[in-house]
Amino acid sequence: MALSTYLTKRFLESILIIFAILLINFIIINSAPGDPARFMGGEVALSSPQYVQAIRERWGLDKPVYERFFIYVYNLLRGDLGYSYRYLQPVSTLILERLPTTLLLTITSTILAFLIGTFLGLKAVQRVGSKGDAFLTTLMFVFWSIPAFWLGIILIMIFGVQLKWFPISGLINVREMKTGIWYYLDILYHSVLPITTLTLITMPVYYKLTRDTAIQQLTEDYVTTFRAVGLDESRLFRRHVFRNAILPPITIFGLQLGYAIAGAALVETVFGWPGMGRLLLDSIYTRDYPVIMGIYLIISISVVLSNLIVDLVYMLLDPRIRVR
Amino acid sequence: MKRLLLQFKQLLRDKYGLTGTIIFTFMVAIALLAPYLPIPDPNDMSAKAFLPPSPKHPLGTDHLGRDLLSRVIWGARTSLAVGIIAAGISALVGIMLGALAGYFGGVVDDVISRIIEIFLMMPTFFLVLFIVAVFGSNMAYIMIVIGLTTWPTTARITRAQVLSVREMTFVEAARAVGAGSRRILFKHVLPNAIHPAIANMVLLIGQAIMIEAALSYLGLGDPNFPSWGRIIYEGQPYILTAWWIPLFPGIALVLTVLSVNFIGDAFLRVMTPRFKTL
Repeated sequence: MALSTYLTKRFLESILIIFAILLINFIIINSAPGDPARFMGGEVALSSPQYVQAIRERWGLDKPVYERFFIYVYNLLRGDLGYSYRYLQPVSTLILERLPTTLLLTITSTILAFLIGTFLGLKAVQRVGSKGDAFLTTLMFVFWSIPAFWLGIILIMIFGVQLKWFPISGLINVREMKTGIWYYLDILYHSVLPITTLTLITMPVYYKLTRDTAIQQLTEDYVTTFRAVGLDESRLFRRHVFRNAILPPITIFGLQLGYAIAGAALVETVFGWPGMGRLLLDSIYTRDYPVIMGIYLIISISVVLSNLIVDLVYMLLDPRIRVR
Repeated sequence: MKRLLLQFKQLLRDKYGLTGTIIFTFMVAIALLAPYLPIPDPNDMSAKAFLPPSPKHPLGTDHLGRDLLSRVIWGARTSLAVGIIAAGISALVGIMLGALAGYFGGVVDDVISRIIEIFLMMPTFFLVLFIVAVFGSNMAYIMIVIGLTTWPTTARITRAQVLSVREMTFVEAARAVGAGSRRILFKHVLPNAIHPAIANMVLLIGQAIMIEAALSYLGLGDPNFPSWGRIIYEGQPYILTAWWIPLFPGIALVLTVLSVNFIGDAFLRVMTPRFKTL
């Protein structure tokens, strides 16, 4: 398959997936019990018939279902994610406001987890079966099994409450507001524990995948040949085993980003971090459905897009795919 | 079945497999025996609130004076039930769809594979959150929703296995003697292709337990059942003083998920002997 055909295919596939996500989103909202207009209007709708009427017109709720779906998609394409009555702001504005704080957590932790996890996986496989390898592997199993919110609480208890090294909550220290560069450093200082939590829980997947792939590589014929000929062991690892072992972790990078965002919602709750996850949960508690739908949509689409990007990067890295 | 038993024996010879099986059996035993153990009622509030761990209350008491050990033990019932039932639903859907896609190929495969891809990319936890937010939190919903959102990995694994088993000689022989496709699929192909999916189901139990715990921690779990996530959620406001409230249910949670992950991973290793040589 030529490169351009492959690209077109992946691109069309991504659009299909996004369309399917829209459809599912639409079905869930429409199969919810009760009048969808009241549903989308939240508590305000109960007291204001005019408002319910306005929603009905805007989203075409008096029209047949399939027509409604197209109105929904049309509204989304214009960037209209709906309006939150609780915040008196368009949903898109609300989300854009919170996006940077969430990205600070997710992107930093995903990159750190990828680097550390892959590095440790490669280190472990060089001494497969040793005490160090067994210790690392067990440790990673433990981090793999820890819920994000609980790890957050434990880190707060140790490093916040007992040792008092790091602040336990919030984005900045509101008691003494800082300006200029110190303002941003204060944010970074507050982000240490949340980022550590997220990094620790997303790291094991990279570690395990790297280690498993590398172990599998070691059973390949070329390794046996390499060793039989008596060539340098470190060169074998550096040039062959490692190269093959870091490809799978790259492919899951996109999916992991989605996982990190899910973890971020929980971690933001634990640390009182004003991000998108926190906004989502607040909206769930107050039944602010336009916000819930909007955030869910944005998250799904970003996962699809990051997967697409990762695929492209992968293609550049792995010559076997490039040729095909 | 015989092969599965054999693999289970091999599993117990694996260090991780054995540790996992012991912890998991212990947790299941505690969950099943909860009503018969000499512990106070999990909702009994006669003790003082915020008592630290002591001989009378080995894990302390919570903000309402309820015995934490008893609540952790009863919580095991909820977590394990959700984990096992949700993973069962998930495995059933995944194995069926994966088998159909792999066995029939063609259009069936194309359609199912696309559905798998779509579900694989949807952030499961948010979908569950979204649905629970819209329809309300009730234990049955939670189990079904977790089951219906986590099946794609199983489907993918089963599909790949069925694809390879389908081409084997004994399947061709069955076809040659005129066996129908339903018989071939269920009698010959699936029994030989299902093992990795079962290992994956074990891992799914852990995933389901984590999702339920996270929902409960956010206050979106079913309030009628004591669960580990819920105890942590209720204990969160007091972590500055009553460290034992979030600590112990969390340890139970980690141990259970860890045991399941040990078992699932060892299972996979036993079934792919290539890894065993190292």
